[in-house]
Amino acid sequence: MTLTLGDRLKVRAMVYVASEPIPRFWPMRTFIHHNPLYGLEGRPFAEAVAEGGRLFHARGYLERAQYQRYRREGKVDDGHLRRRIRDFLASRTDSTRGLDLEAWLWHMATACETSRTLENGDWVHGAGLAAVLRGEPVAIPDGDVDPSLRALLARHHSPESPVYRHVDALFGTTIGPTLDDLLAKSCLDFFDEGQSAWQAPGREAGFYQAWKELARRNARFLLRGLHLRQVLAQEETAEGMIASILRRLEVPEEAWQGYITHELTCMHGWAGFIRYRMSAQHYYWAQRYPADLVDFLAVRMVLGFALLQEGSRHHGTPASASEVTALLNGEPRQAYLRHELHGGSVLPAWAHEIDDVLARGRPAQIARMAKTYVAARIQWENGRAAAALRALAEGVGGSAQATLESLDPAQLDGLLAVLRDWEDTEGYMWLQAMESHYINELVGKIQRPVTEERSDRRPFAQALFCIDVRSEPMRRHLEALGDYQTFGIAGFFGIPLGYLAYGKGSEAHLCPAVQTPKNLVLEIPAGLDLEEEPLYDALQHVLHELKASVLSPFVAVEAVGLLFSLGLVGRTLAPLGYHRWRARLHADRPVTRLLLDKLSPEQADSIIRAVQRAMIVRALARELRIPRDTVTDDDVRNLREVALGHEKGPSTLARRLGMTDAAERDFLEKLRGIYRIDRAVTSLQRGRLGRIGFSIEEQVRYVTQALLSIGLDRNLSRFVLLIAHMSQSENNPYESALDCGACGGGKGLPNARALATMANKPEVRRRLRERGIVIPEDTWFVPAIHNTTTDEIELHDLDLVPARHLLYLERLRSGLNAASRRCAAERMPHLGTGSRLAADPFTAAALAQRQAHDWSQVRPEWGLARNLYAIVGRRSLTEGVNLEGRSFLQSYDYRLDPRGRLLENILTGPLVVGEWINLEHYFSVVDTESYGSGSKVYHNVAGRFAVMTGNQSDLRTGLPTQTVLKDGQPYHEPLRLIALVEAPLEFAQRTVGRIAKVQALIKGGWVRLLVLDPEDDYRVHVLDDGAFTVHPRSVRSMQAPSTNPALEASS
Amino acid sequence: MDLMWCVLAAALLPLFPASWLFNRAVARLPIGAAQGVAALVLPQLGLALLRLAPAAAAWPHAARDGGMVVATLSALLYAVRALSARDLGIWTRLVLSSGLATIWLAWLAGTPFGALRVMALGWGLPAAVALVLAGVLVRRMGGAYIGLQGGLVAVMPRLTASLVLAILALTATPVFSPFFALWKGLGAIPVAWLPFWLPLLFLWGWAAGRLFQDLLFGDYRGEKVADISGAGVAVIALVFVASVALSFVANGGAL
Repeated sequence: MTLTLGDRLKVRAMVYVASEPIPRFWPMRTFIHHNPLYGLEGRPFAEAVAEGGRLFHARGYLERAQYQRYRREGKVDDGHLRRRIRDFLASRTDSTRGLDLEAWLWHMATACETSRTLENGDWVHGAGLAAVLRGEPVAIPDGDVDPSLRALLARHHSPESPVYRHVDALFGTTIGPTLDDLLAKSCLDFFDEGQSAWQAPGREAGFYQAWKELARRNARFLLRGLHLRQVLAQEETAEGMIASILRRLEVPEEAWQGYITHELTCMHGWAGFIRYRMSAQHYYWAQRYPADLVDFLAVRMVLGFALLQEGSRHHGTPASASEVTALLNGEPRQAYLRHELHGGSVLPAWAHEIDDVLARGRPAQIARMAKTYVAARIQWENGRAAAALRALAEGVGGSAQATLESLDPAQLDGLLAVLRDWEDTEGYMWLQAMESHYINELVGKIQRPVTEERSDRRPFAQALFCIDVRSEPMRRHLEALGDYQTFGIAGFFGIPLGYLAYGKGSEAHLCPAVQTPKNLVLEIPAGLDLEEEPLYDALQHVLHELKASVLSPFVAVEAVGLLFSLGLVGRTLAPLGYHRWRARLHADRPVTRLLLDKLSPEQADSIIRAVQRAMIVRALARELRIPRDTVTDDDVRNLREVALGHEKGPSTLARRLGMTDAAERDFLEKLRGIYRIDRAVTSLQRGRLGRIGFSIEEQVRYVTQALLSIGLDRNLSRFVLLIAHMSQSENNPYESALDCGACGGGKGLPNARALATMANKPEVRRRLRERGIVIPEDTWFVPAIHNTTTDEIELHDLDLVPARHLLYLERLRSGLNAASRRCAAERMPHLGTGSRLAADPFTAAALAQRQAHDWSQVRPEWGLARNLYAIVGRRSLTEGVNLEGRSFLQSYDYRLDPRGRLLENILTGPLVVGEWINLEHYFSVVDTESYGSGSKVYHNVAGRFAVMTGNQSDLRTGLPTQTVLKDGQPYHEPLRLIALVEAPLEFAQRTVGRIAKVQALIKGGWVRLLVLDPEDDYRVHVLDDGAFTVHPRSVRSMQAPSTNPALEASS
Repeated sequence: MDLMWCVLAAALLPLFPASWLFNRAVARLPIGAAQGVAALVLPQLGLALLRLAPAAAAWPHAARDGGMVVATLSALLYAVRALSARDLGIWTRLVLSSGLATIWLAWLAGTPFGALRVMALGWGLPAAVALVLAGVLVRRMGGAYIGLQGGLVAVMPRLTASLVLAILALTATPVFSPFFALWKGLGAIPVAWLPFWLPLLFLWGWAAGRLFQDLLFGDYRGEKVADISGAGVAVIALVFVASVALSFVANGGAL
């Protein structure tokens, strides 16, 4: 079989198209909350949910019974639900005379507990229903049932579905699950990031090539009877192999795109991770061991093909699409019985008999059985549907039952169509009705500012918190305690930075995942002996090495196993005490500074020189055993120049020590190769150093933007706290999911420190003054971090605080501590601790500490669960209002933003991050298995970058049930983000209109938008069905509309 | 005539090929209590008939060994067949047939009739419970074809728990009476026969595992059904406790 370049390119293009709906999956070290339907965000929400359901076999809404529970709790706007029913009925052309369909739909939605009242039967129709309702048997078609069976089978067996899926469904084989297992194992081998002691060989060649080499001599595959050698010999490239197998499977070319989509979405966790690797230019593992989705698909196709062939050889099952089609069309009766039996839809009473007949394989018997079974099935399905309709009519009451029985078959068909279509869309209607309730609640809570004038009062301290929902209770308590003013700003403080922490080998991106930082900030210790490693840390390092090795654990468990048991007992019985004791053993973290200023070329050179000289000193000691005492600075300088080729050898040191030419040449080679004192490397380093730091203009711009975006351009306090946030938990692969989403799942302290350093700089302040932003001379920006698990706020860089401020630090600290305790007392009762004890602030704070250090704790904190609102506006709108930790609060004063640029930044950054967080939670609740990651209890870390369920499975994306459910019921109410923007309506519309992405999100219904117009008497305009309407509760001084008491169209 | 008693007994205390009659007779009865009673009574009747036959000790060695071979093969055959059975009623009958075949071995090895009766009761009781529960499933779901709906435990936790207990007992899991009965009853059999018995235990465990997989795992896809009552579970638990106690008393020596 010859494949053209065109075939190969076609496959690549198809894989690209098929991968678009698959969400990228970031490694869990930096868990990124994201919308699982990100790839479908271009479509309206309801449409995308339906498509997502088809692609990922997932639910998009809660079960009806759950919505009914919410309704009983008063969380559903009944008026809205009724309006949706009326709109639905009005949109339909088919009508069923005599029936009060609104009452039928209302009863079905609010009183029937099953998720679907009318199951989608294959044989239900008006005539059958009419017969059953009259108490007569359903007429069975006299003629040949084969055409009906062929049509039915064609509906269930699309040519775009993988061949093995048809085989599994028709023969009860388990090729699909086996294939998933084999593929997961292959992926684990290749993508491992250091978890395995023995790595798979040849990974540098790429996923498919490396796998191919291994597969040819893999005993596991041979034992399974998979003849991979012959299959692999067909084609060399991955895309060639895909095309070749599709041809050998005889999949029609027009079905290739759908086929590939089905194959890729089967394990969308792995596919999403590979998609992420493909797009992450900086990702070390992707650079070192490349892989793409074509590789992934090729491996899957090869394994699937081999399994099909094996099944064909041993069980006589079909091995190609044409063989499946031949069975479906040629022997529809047998195929139907198989489909019923192995698809799980067979009537239980018939299962054994059908199984028996199929096992005997006599065509006449099969034909007779099929006909008898079809008759029974028709009777059963119509009987069931009629019973459901009768029960529904009885619930509706009045004359519904009599009317139902008087309907003719055509009318019954119409009724069925209406009811089924409603059930298809009902989830979305419930969702909107619930959102309407919460929109009403928000509008009721929003306060109109007492005065439009900006206050000249200067509070004791101002605190900038992340917009994260967990900041809201802390802000509320802090404000209630004293003279504090708080602001909400995205937790990266508007500064996207790459951050190289002290002691870390790789750069972390501290900004929203959609951005790539241009600037790099280094953390440098101030005063530390670099050569010294504390004893305990060294011991820990050795133990870790022992554990990671393949053979040493056999010996180590006898020798040092007891040591580990101390930790085991300590962590389990007294987590807090054990943690404190262990913390004392570790060396104190050194005081550090951020290398924040842009380096001049001279400074860059100087740094490179300094590093290279240090390396030379180390090389002399290690390679030649020459101590530092016997080497002068001139010797080192001269050696460096010789190594870089700036000067000719022999070096002064070699001459002085009498080194031979060969010895010196060997040493210089080592300097260049191992210690990287090389001209090319130096040039590269110089380029990289160019990324370090921010120019003074950039610093001014970031500080200006941060202050103006939150409306803080005057009356700055003595202390301006920049409070980033982090979480703290033990034994929790999802830890970074609890960190700052705006910092790409990292901890935002470096951003806070960077902004504080910039804003405290006299030169920056001078330039800000020129732009009209006056920072008083006694104002000091203090970085801090809010630990959302313990509710503690820790101030940083206090050694830099001017002496005259130190007097006030005690007051500041006591205020923060009190707020922390009050916040813990509000939060802890919801975490399953004894509510009476947890309500006491001091006890609550202690319990929170324990949560953070308890390694058996599956839910150290609720994180962002229950997030619902995003409020972009002044704090005065919500100050003192208990928003129950459900709101992202972004401070914004439209009066400081005449051109809408700041609002643009807010909408494209924080709002999108909020939307991702919200939808991650939404989908993790509505389908805890497909979109969520199931229970944490069964999770195992996979390759150090993700988790799997059990020992091997698809990568589990989304959030675990422990994060979103409580006692088996949703703790997070799955609703779309309700974003309220305080700005003139026309101004807000214009701003949104300038950002295509945000416009698509809002128009597509991924975010519910409310605009609070301060220039229109603080009316709230709600975007619903593509148009803004004034919310009736927000009309205060203006006259209520006369035409529609509920809603008045404003545009 | 002496051999005739054995043949008649083999139809009630199943031994291949006469076991076919036993299975057919039980299958003919309505699923549920009737089959449960048959599982308890028929083996006891078979033992009564066997008592009329000459004692196994009087048989020639070759005949005795031949009988043991047939009994072993019979037990293995039904255990293998149970692996592919998905209908709970059929599965129970097959495992019961497999288990009861071991009584023949014990008889041929000279185990006293008292112990044989306890052995028969040891298998009959859990089988009766399983058959009664299969009847409940047939009435409430239309069939007892395990695995069709998956994850039965989600909708019928009490029935599933009772069924799991019955299956564990029926497959001679330690603590349940068949295990001790087996231990005691087969204690007299030469060690050389052991290699044939280990696969039998393995097959029973495998068959039970397959059934559990369908009962306990996966998402339930069927319609909502009512579970059995708490009182029903209590009665079943009582039956098991009593049978374990009986087994401790009757087979105390085995412990």
